[in-house]
Amino acid sequence: MAAEARGIQRWSGWLFVSPWLLGLALLFVYPFVASLIWSFSEYDLLTSPRYIGTDHYERIASEIVQGKGFGKALWNTFYYAAVSIPLSTIMAICLAVMLNWQVRGQAIFRTLFYLPSMVPMVATSILWLWLLDPRDGMVNGLLSFFYEAPPLWFQGIQEGVSTSSPFQFGSKDGLTLMSLWGVGNFMLIYLAALGDIDGSLYQAAELDGAGSFQKFRHITLPMLSPIIFFNLILGIIQSVQAFTQVYLVSEGTGQPAESSLLISLQLFLAAFRDLEMGYASAIAWVLFVFLALMTWGLFRSSRNWVHYRGVRI
Amino acid sequence: MARPLPIVILLLLAGIVAVWGATISLTNETPLDREEVVFWHFWSGSDGEVVNDVVRRFNASQSDYYVRAVSMPGNNFDMKLFLSITGGDPPDLINQDDPIVGDWAFRGAIYSMEEIASVEEVENMKDWLLPSARSLGEYDGRLYAVCNGLDIRALYFNRELVEEALGRSVPDELESIEQLDMIAELCTQYTDGELTQIGYLPDPRRLWAWGPVFGGDFYDEQNGQVTASDEAIISALQWMQGYRQRLGANAVATYRQNDQSLPNKMFPLLANRYAVILDGQWRVRDIEAAQKVSRTRGEPVTRYGVWPLPAESRQGKTGWVNGNVFLVPRHANNAQGAWEFIKFWTGLEGHEKDAAETCVAGGWIPVSKHVAESLEFQTYLSEHPLFARFVDFAATEQVPTPLVPGASRYYREVNNLVQRVMYDDEVVDLTAELNMLEQTMQKHIDRIRSHPSFAEEQADE
Repeated sequence: MAAEARGIQRWSGWLFVSPWLLGLALLFVYPFVASLIWSFSEYDLLTSPRYIGTDHYERIASEIVQGKGFGKALWNTFYYAAVSIPLSTIMAICLAVMLNWQVRGQAIFRTLFYLPSMVPMVATSILWLWLLDPRDGMVNGLLSFFYEAPPLWFQGIQEGVSTSSPFQFGSKDGLTLMSLWGVGNFMLIYLAALGDIDGSLYQAAELDGAGSFQKFRHITLPMLSPIIFFNLILGIIQSVQAFTQVYLVSEGTGQPAESSLLISLQLFLAAFRDLEMGYASAIAWVLFVFLALMTWGLFRSSRNWVHYRGVRI
Repeated sequence: MARPLPIVILLLLAGIVAVWGATISLTNETPLDREEVVFWHFWSGSDGEVVNDVVRRFNASQSDYYVRAVSMPGNNFDMKLFLSITGGDPPDLINQDDPIVGDWAFRGAIYSMEEIASVEEVENMKDWLLPSARSLGEYDGRLYAVCNGLDIRALYFNRELVEEALGRSVPDELESIEQLDMIAELCTQYTDGELTQIGYLPDPRRLWAWGPVFGGDFYDEQNGQVTASDEAIISALQWMQGYRQRLGANAVATYRQNDQSLPNKMFPLLANRYAVILDGQWRVRDIEAAQKVSRTRGEPVTRYGVWPLPAESRQGKTGWVNGNVFLVPRHANNAQGAWEFIKFWTGLEGHEKDAAETCVAGGWIPVSKHVAESLEFQTYLSEHPLFARFVDFAATEQVPTPLVPGASRYYREVNNLVQRVMYDDEVVDLTAELNMLEQTMQKHIDRIRSHPSFAEEQADE
């Protein structure tokens, strides 16, 4: 009797989770496996996939070597991630620390700084297109005091954080600036983490004669390191997945001259403009492996710099 | 204890939803004695209203078919269409404006008109269409798309600025590229060392127009070869590069990028930012609106004119054409109904007056000279002389982006290269770059061609 009840209970459990399992199978496992098969096939959505071996992967490798197509998109994504992630991390931490100060109107400041994160990406993109217009934009209006030829932002192919055109900001820098506008989400997590830091740690440091910077360097940062680590991984994934803003500012082409062609847009163009589903699937898999390796590397390195309650794991 | 208020609110909401649902179902209802023709398009706003009006007039004229127009966002249009084709339930008719006809025709995603209408009817349609309109739909000797509206580019100019710079009246047509360059240079102005007005600046996306005007071809149809490194195309690109060398990459990027898409009053010609600019017939309405505002305010009215592209070595080609085309997806349930609607829209078989009415309402160029010559349309042209110039240009030999498999990518890659040439001070070896592009695209097209199409696969099954 008891065994029968256990059996019913077990089946009831499976029955209750079945909607989720069904969703997982149809919307995740099937596309996951199918895209792997398609990455070794020529497939245009209309005809059946035809096996062609590793052609797409060879093409990706040659494009990386030549710096064209996927190679260009990879570099653009790397540049965007390498500039935007550290900047947004620094900015989010600084804002969180400042918003943690006990000042009059703290709640209002917190709301104000978080508000931009609630603006839909489409609206944000259009707003920044106007703000960063090289001729009539407000940002260049201010920068014209410092620059003889103000940056071109979304209309330029330059890379401001590079040796080839230092401080001549182009389309990717515009995207980076735009990403900082949405830093409120990260800021909120840091703010919550700051509230979690034990006040006695600061008191002890003060007794030892530590100043503000030393407290920040030796207490705040280490205590925030698990959150920094979490946000770092999230930031990398978001950079690789950035699509809406890139599509809008580049009119869906990665213009000018592919300077804003990030991997997600390259994948979209290959799949739905050129009908190269196989090649697009191969890009997705290369991306998946790349992200997995990055995450693995970060987890490995986290042992050296991430502190959980003051202890490195 | 019953709580009546939430129940009343719930019932009220349910009632609203029910009435709303019933209204939708009533407005979308196809009469029982008619066959439904589902038409996907991406027009909205005032253009959408014009389309709805055509559909209404067609439905009123019909006893067999009933068109149901569905406006969809353009960015996911292709994806939805292909999923619907593979799913076996596509719309009966769609509208497109990208250079995809050759690609979709080769892949078998669309029917040729020969498959859905009689040979005689298709021949009549081919005769009906202007050569430039026909060229947008012919692939491999068959008519796969029927143009429903032409987009013609020409050189708009600010008559006051050009006259002042030349010190004499403006010619009706430009004789040569050199003359355009001369006007461009005379009209370019700097204030305190800063560029404040551009005479003329080639748009990087328009090598497709200047290449053929210089005498080049992007594709050799007879031999199936990509010919992007054609000497005439290299010359056209060198000429465009000359503007970058004179003005500097920074100025070119600042002035050029996005200018084309600035709408209505922001059209840069109206802001005196350019003296001459290459754009399409839709800008006539912006110009007329600006002139009307000046008249209302009692201000001097700026005069504008339009030139065809100058005939340097035209070899019969006067420019680049694109436009909107009708396509019938493979496995459409009601291809015959779609064909009837196509004939109605284009004015074939006695519908000239309706077609003229559509073109007048939308400010569109007719695809047939019979419609353009109709009384209704001629009356419209007499009131809009600038627009009439575009209708004249439409009748000349305008060439489209090649109708080949993989054309979307070809179009994109060429534009990317020209942007690099125009927006970067780095010296680019044009011949080498165009050669490389040619090889890449040839490989791409050959790869597409090496696989059986959807139609062939279906036939095998």
